[in-house]
Order: sequence, then structure tokens, then C-alpha cells
Amino acid sequence: MKGSIRLGIALALFAVGACASLAVVYAITEERIAAQDQMALEASLQDLFPQGELFEDISASIASTNPGVTIQSAFLAKQGEASLGLAVKAAGPSYGGQAVLLVGVGLNRSIAGVRILELNDTAGLGANAKNPGYYVDKVNKVTFPGQFTGKFITDPFVVKSDVVAITASTITSTALTTIVKAAADSGALWLENSTLASPADVSSATSYSGSAASESAPETTGGN
Amino acid sequence: MKSLWKTFKQGIIYENPLLMLMIGLCSALAVTSNVANGLGMGLAMTFVLLFSEIVISLFRKVIPNSVRIPIFIIIIAAFTTMVDLVMKAYFPDLSKSMGVFIPLIVVNCIIMGRVEAFASKQKVMPAIFDSLGMGLGYTWVMIAISAVRELLGNGSLAGIPLMPASYKPILFFILPPGGFLVFGLFISFNIWLKGKMDKTAKERA
Repeated sequence: MKGSIRLGIALALFAVGACASLAVVYAITEERIAAQDQMALEASLQDLFPQGELFEDISASIASTNPGVTIQSAFLAKQGEASLGLAVKAAGPSYGGQAVLLVGVGLNRSIAGVRILELNDTAGLGANAKNPGYYVDKVNKVTFPGQFTGKFITDPFVVKSDVVAITASTITSTALTTIVKAAADSGALWLENSTLASPADVSSATSYSGSAASESAPETTGGN
Repeated sequence: MKSLWKTFKQGIIYENPLLMLMIGLCSALAVTSNVANGLGMGLAMTFVLLFSEIVISLFRKVIPNSVRIPIFIIIIAAFTTMVDLVMKAYFPDLSKSMGVFIPLIVVNCIIMGRVEAFASKQKVMPAIFDSLGMGLGYTWVMIAISAVRELLGNGSLAGIPLMPASYKPILFFILPPGGFLVFGLFISFNIWLKGKMDKTAKERA
């Protein structure tokens, strides 16, 4: 009995020492890690909306339209008083684990751009999605995420029909397309519910909402 | 001094953790698809190994024998978490590309093996030299394997394209099977080298 108490005390002392030293390192690096994450995010937001001056966090009020895809955060890009569009950070499963994309949605319900933030698929195959030198359209030098730019969210988003797949990586292509579609739909839905539609857009936006509801339902189930 | 030097040398060729002891292979195979990762992993390992061996060697007399393994794990885990935090703060790109393999240093057999077999029985100075030798032995193999794999499988070294544009990368080398092949070739090279060194040592004697 006495022996095991002594062992317990020895173990506890080492644990306390380890905790204390970890706390010190954590306190030193915490701020910097948060700043790094913030900087990386801001750089990609700025990249999607080069004219954006302010990015308002709207993560709390946005919901995913696809249960397989989670919306991690979302930002409203603003230039002065005018809104430019939404940037939606969405995560979903791909071939090699979780993939995280940043999808820009313009006020006209088209995709302003897609950036791949995290992807762990096979090097040389699925990982070509984030290779800036891999083109799905070699003539016009369009990358896999680049091909989404300008697409309207009412488009079908079907791999091998209106989305060009990465060679020998259908799983990655389909997975990423599903995430882009879900992020764009969620962003569009948020725009629908907000009062932000640009004046010229208002009439078309209301007429659009009906068709979006009927259209997005079969596609979310089909996408999975 | 001479025996310290000998301890240091052991880890580089004769008792190289990857090529002779053949421990800690899984993370070694997984991260060696490019040179930056190989170097980063090697340095991270060396750091954790060095400080774990120092601390455990310092406290070897007060660590009760029956709970030594949990205590080793606590110490190793603390240093690994420190490396992870520091990397996230100062080398975010490297930390991203190595992903889960930094936290996994905690259960790397090399550290556990050296701490159990060496540091827990030796004074601080030999422990320092042992960890540096083992760390350097690990790091050079990581860099060499990742250089071969990156050059053949991606046509570049440390991200700088070296092969002519007409070179079509042999994907095989980036993928796990290529890793095993290169690894096997390094093991046979090391055994050949050791045989040769044994011979010259005998001739000299």
C-alpha cells in the first residue's frame, strides 16, 4: 500500500512538471498560432475578393444545405458599404480524409472562385486538384478549382458532364465538386434570407428562390 | 571523450535506427515524399529525442522502476506537444504538410527504445551524445530517402524543379510502394557499407 502511494506521487509529480512546462510553451505560442491562422484565412479571402476591404464574419447565421458537408465559417466581403459576395469555408470527406475549401459566391449567384485550403489525397493523382500547374483545360490553362469560377449555382455540377474530372481521380473530383456545390447552395440560401441582394438583382433573386428549392433537394441526395 | 564520440558514431551507421535497428519505420515511410518534410521530421525527432534523453537521464535515479514507462510517455509527450506548438506558430506550412505525424512522434519506437535502452541507465553526457547520434542517423536517412523519392517521383528537390520539362515524373516513387523499394535499397546499401567498414577495421587491427 505504502509503495503504491509512493509510485502514484512520483507519477503525479512528473505529470505536474510536464503540465507546467507545456503551459509555458502554450502561452508563448498561442497568440502566434491564432495570428497565423487568421493571416492564412485573410490572405485567401483577399485572393477571392481582391477588392474586398472588410470581411464580416457571418458564420453564426449560415447553415449547410448538405448534411455531408460542414460549413466551418463564412464571411461577407464588403467594399465600403457595398457587399461583394460571400466566402464560405466548407469541409467534407474526400479520398484521403477531410478536404477544406473556400468558395466565393457572388451576389449574382455565380461562383467567384474556389480555393483549396486542405486536401490530403494521393500525391500525383487527387492532389493535382491543388497543383497550380495541373490544367483540366490545357489550352486555356484552367485548373481544377479554376473551372468553377463563373459557374452559376443553378448549373448541374456533375463531374464528367459540366465539371471536368482530374485524370484517374474521379473520387476526388466528385468529392470536391460536392463540397463546392453545397457551399455555393448554402451561401445562396443565406443571400436569399438576407436583405443584401444588389438592387438590380432583387427581382431575379426572388424568382430564383422557387427554382432553387425544387432543384437543390434531389441534388443533395444524389451528391451523396 | 573517446567513448562519447563512439556513442555518437554508433547511431549514424552501425546502429542506425532506421537502417539497422529498423524501428520507427511507419512515419519515416509516410513523410519522405519530399525533402522539406524529411528534414523537418528529422529535426523534430532529434529535438524530442535529445530533450527526452536529457530529462530521463537526469531523473533516472528518482524514477521508480515499476512506473517508468508511463513517466517516459509523459515526458516524451510533453516535448512532442512543444514541438507541435512551435511548428504551428513558426512554420505553419511545414506543420500542415506533416499533419498527424508530428503528434505521432510520441509513440515512435526510436524514442521509446533509446530512452528505455540507453538514457534510463546512463549519465547525462553519454545520453546527449547518443540522442544526437541517433537523431543525426535518423535525419540523414530521412533526407536521403526523400531526395531520391522527390527527384524521381516529382522531378524536383526541396520544391525546386530540377529535371528537364520533358521528364515525366515516375509517380510510383511518391506512392507507398516506391517508398518501400527505396527504403529496401538503403538498407542493403547500409549493410554493404557496414561490411566494408568492418573489413577495414579488422585490417587495421
